[in-house]
Formats: sequence, structure tokens, C-alpha cells
Amino acid sequence: MNKKYGLLLSLLPLVTAAASAETLPPPVDFNREIRPILSDKCFSCHGPDKKKRKGRLRLDLEESARDPKKSAIVPGKLKESELYLRITTDDTDERMPPEESGKSLTTEEIELLSRWITEGARWSEHWAYVPPRKHKLPAVKKTAWPTSWIDRFALGHIEKSGREPAPDADPVTLVRRVYFDLTGLPPEPGVVDAFRTDPAPKAYEALVDGLLASEHYGERMAAYWLDLVRFADTVGYHGDQDHSISPYRDWVIDSFNDDLPFDQFTREQLAGDLLPEATTGQLIATGYNRLLQTSHEGGVQAKEYIAMYAADRVRNVSEVWMGATMGCAQCHDHKYDPYTAKDFYAMAAFFADVDDTAHLKNGTNSLPTRREPEISVLSRKQRGRLAVLDKNIADKQALQAKTPAPELAAEIKTLKAERSSLQKTARKTMITRATRPRVTRILPRGDWLDDSGPVVKPGIPEFMGDLAAGKRLTRLDLANWLTDPEEGIGKLNARVIANRVWYLLFGRGLAPGLSDFGGQGVAPAHPELLDNLSLRLLEKSWKLKALVREIVLSRAYRQASLPKAGLATFQAVQRLPAESIRDNALAISGLLVREIGGPSIKPYQPAGYYRHLNFPARKYTPHNDKRQWRRGLYVHWQRQFLHPMLKAFDAPRREECTARRSRSNTPLAALVLLNDPTFVQAAQAFARRILAEGGPSTNSRLDFAFRQAVCRKPDDFERKTLRQLLTAPETRDEQDWTTVARGILNLAETNLRR
Amino acid sequence: MSPTPINRRAFLAGSGLSLGSAALNHLLAAEDSPPGKRPAYLLPGAKAKRVIFLCMAGGPSHLETFDYKPKLDEMNGKPMPESITRGQPIAQLQGQKLKVQGHLTKFRKHGEGGQYISDFMPWCAKMADDIAIIRSLVTEQINHDPAHTFINTGTAINGRPSMGAWVNYGLGSESKDLPGFVVMTSVGGRNPQPIASRQWGAGFLPSRLQGVEFNSAGDPVHYVGNPAGITRDTQGRLVNAITALDRHRNKVINDPETATRIAAYEMAFRMQASVPELMDVSKEPKHILEMYGAKPGDGSYASNCLLARRLAERGVRFIHLYHRGWDHHGGLVKYMNTCCGLTDKPTWALIQDLKQRDMLDDTLVIWGGEFGRTPMFQGKGGAGRDHHVKGFSMWMAGGGIKGGVGYGETDELGYHAEKNIVHVRDLHATMLHQLGIDHERFSVKHQGLDMRLSGVEKARVVKDILI
Repeated sequence: MNKKYGLLLSLLPLVTAAASAETLPPPVDFNREIRPILSDKCFSCHGPDKKKRKGRLRLDLEESARDPKKSAIVPGKLKESELYLRITTDDTDERMPPEESGKSLTTEEIELLSRWITEGARWSEHWAYVPPRKHKLPAVKKTAWPTSWIDRFALGHIEKSGREPAPDADPVTLVRRVYFDLTGLPPEPGVVDAFRTDPAPKAYEALVDGLLASEHYGERMAAYWLDLVRFADTVGYHGDQDHSISPYRDWVIDSFNDDLPFDQFTREQLAGDLLPEATTGQLIATGYNRLLQTSHEGGVQAKEYIAMYAADRVRNVSEVWMGATMGCAQCHDHKYDPYTAKDFYAMAAFFADVDDTAHLKNGTNSLPTRREPEISVLSRKQRGRLAVLDKNIADKQALQAKTPAPELAAEIKTLKAERSSLQKTARKTMITRATRPRVTRILPRGDWLDDSGPVVKPGIPEFMGDLAAGKRLTRLDLANWLTDPEEGIGKLNARVIANRVWYLLFGRGLAPGLSDFGGQGVAPAHPELLDNLSLRLLEKSWKLKALVREIVLSRAYRQASLPKAGLATFQAVQRLPAESIRDNALAISGLLVREIGGPSIKPYQPAGYYRHLNFPARKYTPHNDKRQWRRGLYVHWQRQFLHPMLKAFDAPRREECTARRSRSNTPLAALVLLNDPTFVQAAQAFARRILAEGGPSTNSRLDFAFRQAVCRKPDDFERKTLRQLLTAPETRDEQDWTTVARGILNLAETNLRR
Repeated sequence: MSPTPINRRAFLAGSGLSLGSAALNHLLAAEDSPPGKRPAYLLPGAKAKRVIFLCMAGGPSHLETFDYKPKLDEMNGKPMPESITRGQPIAQLQGQKLKVQGHLTKFRKHGEGGQYISDFMPWCAKMADDIAIIRSLVTEQINHDPAHTFINTGTAINGRPSMGAWVNYGLGSESKDLPGFVVMTSVGGRNPQPIASRQWGAGFLPSRLQGVEFNSAGDPVHYVGNPAGITRDTQGRLVNAITALDRHRNKVINDPETATRIAAYEMAFRMQASVPELMDVSKEPKHILEMYGAKPGDGSYASNCLLARRLAERGVRFIHLYHRGWDHHGGLVKYMNTCCGLTDKPTWALIQDLKQRDMLDDTLVIWGGEFGRTPMFQGKGGAGRDHHVKGFSMWMAGGGIKGGVGYGETDELGYHAEKNIVHVRDLHATMLHQLGIDHERFSVKHQGLDMRLSGVEKARVVKDILI
């Protein structure tokens, strides 16, 4: 722990539990109840931004707010506190917040602030900047319910809000849920049947372990990571040309499958090139620094774009690893959080050694465009094979040198042929190679034309400490600081990550703002569980699989979902994410190709969809081979014109960090499921399967179809309704069954994880 | 996504806004805020119900359309005074000698208001008294893509909602079988610049508010056509079965989103009929087709203008047309002839058509590009002009805007807007004002901030051009 940060911690007032006064309501919680009000209604004039500050009063700092000279807040003395008088006065000239701010306090908020002052106006450091600490298990009433420490906390939370845990989910729902959550794919009906017959904890545990070991786990986790780091196949601005980056996506999948510890995962992406004897994988990982949007438009001003790129990187790093919105500090000190404009540019300076101008000089309007530095790489599997081949060839050549034989020569030739055809499949990928760092200046008001600001060196936000090491700090120093639980903010980072893992498995985070742990973000209603999960992740040496495993084995995870869940410790029904909507339909129909990794793929797409692209004009040719049926994760991600299917189901364009996708239900999405040729062909294939494998009668076929899609039998109403889509009670007409198949693929239930 | 602490459901349901109940349910089903009061951002006395934004993508030259500067002709060919250009952003002319390019056309005064309009736009000249020309626009982005993003969302940072999404968010939709925000594009002119679908994105607003592009070729809306061999009857029975099954199963699943989903399927099915009906202009009377110069199904700007009127009639809240071809770095005369040839008369026809249907009064029409063009010469294949952000022209009409007036001025060479400067955010504030929305109060929480279309800097409504 560095000094400044340690000091900050020691200033933390001890939170006293309300033990004695049982008749009184619990004391007001500053972080949960007061800070959000002050932040939203007061900080823009009485907060961190010195330029906008009024009356030299800061309400984000205890010492300023309680300064006896100002008597803004006199602890325990409501009527002497200027703050109270100002928020309650009828005099509109005096009243706070002022009319022109467009803000006002509700009666409830005034009441809370009053109670808080009366109770002594205790401050506490903003929760997100306080490292998680280990909390004791809470006392619970339903002592038989919990099966793990996670459950104890979850139950404590549920009981505290006056509710009861939901019943356990039925085995079918559970198995579907855990399949989608851990792999993004539906379960095989056979697996569901087996689990329905034996839903014992041991069987569930074995199921979970199988899923965590499956390569599809990496795909599922990667899909989320790619949203965070804004991975796409195209440059984003102007001509939106393709760039070479798919090996990075595959590296992410491999890393999740290997359970690469998150700190190392971070280091390799931010600074793999700075690691001693960097491996090919580590170089591929540095593609992270190249994922931002770039422009190849003629007439861009290099200086302007360098400034844009720098800001883009700061936004992404701070959102992904710090859960912070440092982007606001590009033009001014942050209004709600202690980040200053200087912090913003100091963060940008870490990346000043990434060459951001080469593509402005030599970028071309070709597909893909040139974005040096790039290297040619094989997939990890292929790299393994290559090593084997190399060794074989060397061995055989050595043998040949000793005892020449014609068979040996032939073998060497075959091996060499394999080697050279393997090397031909190499893909280019953008990497980072450190260059001489550019000078980074603070840009006044974010204006790139203004050179008057001071030069800044790479550095972490000042309120979090100082890494000064007598040398220029590097991206590797940044990565280490982000992940080191003792010397850096690893503990805070772990909380950001643990919260997102919870979101993936429950549908919402314990802290609702997945990328906004700042003063304007909502504090977790249940900080104890989040803290302990974060520390657990660190205990497990940043290995996510262990954390995921513990959570999905918990009884909290296994609860039935509730329609109005309210709490993050309940399960919520969720529409599947865009990629899984596709994968699911392809899996049900039997078309899905389950290969891992490789170049991005092009499914059917409406003709002319890329007609607005130019430099060069774009022609889209769908892949008319097995690539057509690969998972959504691999679909060519055209930032400006994301595939309409992905877009309709809320996949982001990946221009900025996306920590949470919306889950909409729109007519456009309905049209995709009804009429997109991918889904129509899936329905046709499904119909053929139903006819081939679904037994002799309409009833047996409906049973089969339902089992594939939703893992259960249709009831009478469902049978009757679907039968009405057939032109005869008993028919083998493929067209008829395609309509039924379309119906089933379109059902809400088919596309839900609950 | 919860909006400002306002109850939109209660307000919209009880307000004078005509909103079909199906659309209302569809629109609001996802937002269950408690009953409350009329949104604080709504102003009394809205003038406009909808917007038609005619975006001349690429950046038309203000110096060949609306901004007449005799001094420019006087200085033709002379070096551009450095006092004007020093320290200013510059695009393709970086590092080149800057010289003045005189007007490449003649200007005349038109209408009772005596507005200067160039000879490139004879049809626009005829409606000089219908439009308010702003000659002092400024923007902050000098390259096409970010400049579009800026004018559409108020910032160059991607991921913010576009105007059409904002307006639909604020006022809801009036159409029960069409989306509230429709985009159409046409091409013709020099080097059509790309235009990203981000330009009609919903950003952090609910994604149902994003613009839907209507296409002139293929399916007018993606996947709006039935699969091959499927009749409307079969499709209808299928959709009925799906919604019946969803409703039935939801008794067990209990997903609050199901009602929205069912409404979405019903609307999708209606769109399968209403969109082709809308797009089929062949039944329009001949004199109307001729007035626009539209041939059914040709994908032209003329057809899009006619479709814009049809969309407006059907209650679509925000109609955004892009015509790509105005990036005149060279061959400006030739390409102005092309672009104006394709757009001038149809734009006039749209205004006349709205007027004769008594729709111009409550339809705000805005014409302009993402920026203007330099007073300096550029010569990529004949005389042309580079991108320019410090002063350019747009016009507004209808929806409570005065006709026959000009507003704002650039300097004597048409470089800097210097009198009554109108920033893009002022344009947004004015547009929202006409729709009955107070731009300062119209905000949504995102990442802890109160986000506004008009941004954080002070924006103003351009009151001088309002009736």
C-alpha cells in the first residue's frame, strides 16, 4: 500500500453499528443515502471541479463542509447548519439548489439530510475508493437454507429487505440457465433428461465442472470481454475499413479457457510487449491497445486524432479496469469524482508510446487496411502443431544426416509440406510495439489546438497515490498498479470484476452501475457480499473460474427467477444476448458448427446493407459453407453497420466500452426471428430433423420439437395451437413443419434464460 | 432505463398527444414508473409535432448557396489573409498555400424578404419567403464522420443518442404501425462520403428509439418481407400462434417483458403491411409525382421527399433524409449542378405539399449539411472548396419558424460567423423548443451525469426566427 492511499484509509471513520437504539430507525448511511443526494444535487457547484465551485464550499470533503467558519454543516445542530436553512427556505434567491440548475430536492431527500445532520453528519470515504474488507457472515433466520458463505450473505440481504428466498429452480430451468450462463449454448436434451432424473448436488457439481472445462466457456466469457474492450473487425470512423485483429479475439477465448489469472490477463493486454521474452500470445494480447476506433479519412489532422485516440484509451481503461468514468476529465476536473484533468492526461501518457500516426501516413483504403505494427500469427492450436512439426522435422533431419534413407526423405518432405500449408493460414494481427513516447500535454478544455497546457508524464490519479519511481512509468507499471492488491488498486479492481461476474450470472450487478463506481453511481445495497466476493477472487489468485464455480453452485444462484426481482440476490428472467439467440436457433436446428476461433465469418445479410460505406465501396459476400453456421461471437463486426440481426438484439457497435447491454423487445427483432434467412433456414433444418427424428405422429413430433427447444413437453393448449399451423392433422409436409418450427424458434421461452 | 424522475406514462396517457393505445403500451410497457406529473421539460404551446431533417451529407458550400460576399469575388485568386486562418483547424488543405476562391455562381435577392439565394437553387429561390436562413452556423468537427455525429448527438464522442431518438423519447410516437424515427438515404454528386448507422443510434436511450432505415431497394425495412413461399395469411396465423403461446406460457414464466414482446410481434406484423403500403407511391396522383420529380421505387432524393410527406402524414415523429454527394473538394460547379439538380426541386415540392395539406405549420423542416466549405480554393479536379466549420448556412421552415428572414452573418470573406452566431447546440435548443421541449430540462441520467442533447455549454433558442 503506498503512502498517500494508506493515509486515506486511516482517515476512514469507524462505522458504528446501531446496536442500542432498537426503537429508532437505523442511522442514515452516508454512502448509500446521503452522498448520492449531495453528488447529484450539490457537487456540480460544491464539488471537485474548482472552476465551477461556488462560495468556496466543497460538500464532497468533510473538512470543508464542516468548516466552523462557514457553518455549512454543524453536526447535531440542524438549525445552525446553513445547508439545512438553505434547502428549506422559502426565499427563492437563497434556496438551494438554485432554480436555474434545474435541480430540486424532494421532501424525502430533505428529511434524510436533516436526519443525517441531526445524527452528527458523519462522512465516510466513497465506497468505491475504499478497498474491500472481509466481512463476517451475517446472522440469518432461515438457517437451513444456505449451502455456502455466498448464500449466508445473500440470505442476510434478502431477509434484511423483509423477503424470503425464492424456491429452488426446477432442474430443467436450472440446467438451461447454467448452460447459457457458462457457455452461451443450450443444453443437449439428453443432458437435461439425465439431470432431471438425478438432480442431486453431486450431479449438478459435475455438470458445472464439465461446463467450466468446455471450450465454450471461453467463448461465452470472451463475448462479454469483447464488449468491454470494444473489439470489432473494422476501424470505426469514416470508411470503416476492415483491420486485422481476429487473433486477439481467439487469444481472449484461450485465456478464459486456460483460466489465465486476471492480473496476468491484464498485463498481457496492456503491456505484453514489455514483458521479458514476450511470447506470440502476449504480443497478440497487446492488440488491446489497438482496438480503438481509428480514421483513415483523407484530411484528418494528425494532432486532432492523436488527442481523440488518447481520450478513447483513457475512457476504456478507466471503465474496464477501474469502473470509473474518467472520460469527463478530458475537458475539466471531474464534477463528481476526485479525478482531475491532469489525471486524465497523465493516464493518457501511459499510452504515448503506442504508434498512433503510422496509419495516418500509410493507411490505405484497402480491405483490410494497413495498421502497422502487425504480425502474422497462427492460432494457438496451430502454433502447437507447428512446434511438433518443427521438432519432428529436426529429429528426422538429424537421423537422415546420420543414416540417410529414401523413406526418411519422403517423410521429411511430407512434414515440410504440412508445415508450409499450415503457415499459409497465418493471419495478420495488430500489436503494440513501444516507440519513443510522444509529448503529452494537458489540453485546456480538451482543445487539441491549444498547446498552452503543461506537459504531463504517465501517472496514476493523484488522489490514489503516486507511483514515482525515478523513471518514466510504462504501460506495464500501469497494468501492475491496476492489479496489485497491495501496492496498487487490485482490490478495487477485483470489486469491479466480481460485480460484473455477478451481473453475468444474475442479470444485475450487486452494485448496479457496472462501469460507474463513481460518486454518481449507485452504491451496492449489499456491499458485504461484494467485498467478500472480491477478496475471494484475490484469494483464488485472480482465477475467475473458481469464483464463477462458487457462485453457480450456491443456492442463491439456483433460486427460481422472480418476475419483479428487485434485489440483485434474486434471479431475474433475461432474454438471451444477441449471439446466443443465433447460437440457440442453430443448435436446436442441428446446423450449429462448434469450431473455436479463426477469422470472422459472414452470415447472410440483407443485400445493399453496406451501400453507405465507401473508400472502398463494399461488397458483402456471405460465406456459403460451414462458416455460415458458426457462432454469433465470430460474426464479422462491422462497427458502422453491425449485422442487423446482432443490432436488433442489442449487441453494441463496440465504439465504446459496453458493460451492460440493454434487453429490448422491438418489432425489428421480431422481424429478424420471423424472416431473416438464417432463422428461416434454421427452421427448415429443424423441420427436417423433426420429421426424421420426431417419431410417427404429430404428437410425437411436437414432443420432440419442444424437447429440443425448451427441454419440456408441450401442454394441451400448446399442442392445439401448433396443430392449427398444420394443413392436415397428420402430415409430413415439410412446409407445414417449417411453419411449426418457425413458431417454436420464435417463442419467448425459447429465447429466454430464466 | 429510467428517465428523469418523471412519469411519462401518466403524462402521455392523459395528455393532448394523440397516441394510439397499442403504441402507448408498446412504447411504455418497459417503463413502469409510479404515477406522477407532466414531464418538467415540456413547454406549453408546442408549435411543431414532427421534424423532417434534410441532411445534405458531405457539407454543401454556403458560398454557393446562401452566403453572398462581394469581397470574396474582389479577392478571387489572392492569398487568404493569414489573420483569418492562423491557428484554425484545417482539413485537406493542410500545408498548402491558401488563396481566396470567389463565388462560383451568381446570387440574387428573392422573395419579399429579399433573401440572397444562389442561381444553383432556382426552386429554393421560389420559396424564399417560406424559409428562415441562418448564415452563422458553427460546428466543432471538421471531418465528415465526427461532424455528423456532432450535429446528430451534440458531441463527437460516439455512443450518445441522436436527435430523432431524443425527440421520440421526449414526445413518444404517434404511429401505431410505423417506427417513430425513420431514416432514408439517397446518393448523387461527388465522392459520396460514408454515413454510419451510428448517426441514427439510440445511444444510451432504449434501443427501440433508434432510427429505422427504410430502403428503396430490396426489403424497405430489413426482413419486413415474408420468407419465400409464405403468404400473409400463413404469416398472420403464425404470429397469432406465437403471441397466443407466449401469453399462455407467461402464466408460468411470469416475465414482465412478455407484454412488450407480444406488442412487438403485433406491430412487426402490421409493419409487414404498412411499410410496403407506405413505400408504394405509385398510387400518388400524377401531378404530385411530377411536382417532386419522383419515379416510384427509384430511391432518389425526390422519392424520399415524397415518402417523408407520407411518413409525416402517418404520424412519424422524426424523419431524417440524407443525400450523399456534397463533398465538393473539386469540380464544385459540376457537382453543385448534380446535387442541386437532384435535390432543389424535390425540397421545394415537399414544402409546397406540406403547405397545401396544412401540415407545414406543425412540421419543422431543417435543411443543411454537417459543415460548410472554405472560402479558400481547393482544386481536386477543378475548383472546389475544403471542409469548413467556422461559419456556414442552414435553413429552417414550418413548425413556427418565420419565413423570408435571414439570421446571422459571417465575416466579409464568409469564413468566421461573427454576428448572431448559432452553434449546433443552439440549433438543437431551437428545434426542441419548437417541439415544446425545454432543452435545459430535457435530460437523462447516464453514467451519473444529466445528459442533454444540447450539451453542457449554455445553449440558446434562436428566438428571432420564431413566429
